[in-house]
Amino acid sequence: MEHPILFISIILEKLGLPVPHGPVGHTLLEQFCAPYMTYTWLVMAFLFLVSKLTLGNLEMIPGKGQNFWELVIGGMDTFFCDNMGREMTDKLFPMIATFALYIAVANLIGLIPGFMSPTSSLNTTLALTVIVWFTHHIIGFRAHGLSYYKHFIGPVWWLIPLLLPIEIISNFARLLSLSIRLFGNIMAKETLLAILFMLAGGFFAPLPIMILGVLVSVVQAMVFVLLTVVYFAQAQEHAH
Amino acid sequence: MSDVKKEFVHLLANYGHIGFTFAAAILIGLGGGIYLDQKVFDGRTAPWLTFIGLAFGIAAAYKSLFEIIWINKDTDDKKDQSK
Repeated sequence: MEHPILFISIILEKLGLPVPHGPVGHTLLEQFCAPYMTYTWLVMAFLFLVSKLTLGNLEMIPGKGQNFWELVIGGMDTFFCDNMGREMTDKLFPMIATFALYIAVANLIGLIPGFMSPTSSLNTTLALTVIVWFTHHIIGFRAHGLSYYKHFIGPVWWLIPLLLPIEIISNFARLLSLSIRLFGNIMAKETLLAILFMLAGGFFAPLPIMILGVLVSVVQAMVFVLLTVVYFAQAQEHAH
Repeated sequence: MSDVKKEFVHLLANYGHIGFTFAAAILIGLGGGIYLDQKVFDGRTAPWLTFIGLAFGIAAAYKSLFEIIWINKDTDDKKDQSK
């Protein structure tokens, strides 16, 4: 379900570009103008511009903007380091930190009327999850070589026919559950807000849900990043 | 980050996630079984592969549930020893 009013879609329609009215468009141009795509680009532009403006020139004595980013990046760095070690953090920090910032901003942007969370579309969350899922297998293969398959066969050889399907199913379940959890939480928040706006927007009915929405947005971004880190750490460590 | 807060974040992530993982594992097992029955073997083996797939899905779901319990038990034991 979409918000009743999305200002980027209105601007695009005024410009004469085709904005799809269903969840996805049919032609390529329509797919590019789908709300979750345009708002993804808005979030990307926002993150790029804010970091450019606040980090334009780094100084030894940090100002307000630089202080904020040092706090955020430093906090994430220690957090990743505690969970998967120094070496992997150095290698994978740009990717996971980008996910964290992108998901947090994308979740929170939906709380402003006229905006929509890109993460409330399954396409966005599934794309993020597929990247994480492939990366954790690549990490596993790079760390263990071909003996990475030992992660999937269990401790003894005669249990292989039983344990191999189980391990494979639970590995694919990660792909499904990680994407659907983020999508479901954010979509529920968006839908609830839209319905409350329509029913009793004049009496500030959506206000309590918006407060909960801030909490949900931050927690979901954190959970996604934490699970990503845990999967990477598990792929790296030895099979037990 | 303090230890209590870190542990809280871990618990939140693991237990907040297990519900979806449980359902997803069962659905993947069942879906795989139905696919094998209907598409690969053209309904000749129905309904047995569906049931087998469902059983594997449920087993995988419980495996991911117990994995989370065991991980937390390990860290708890370590903490008790270090005290």
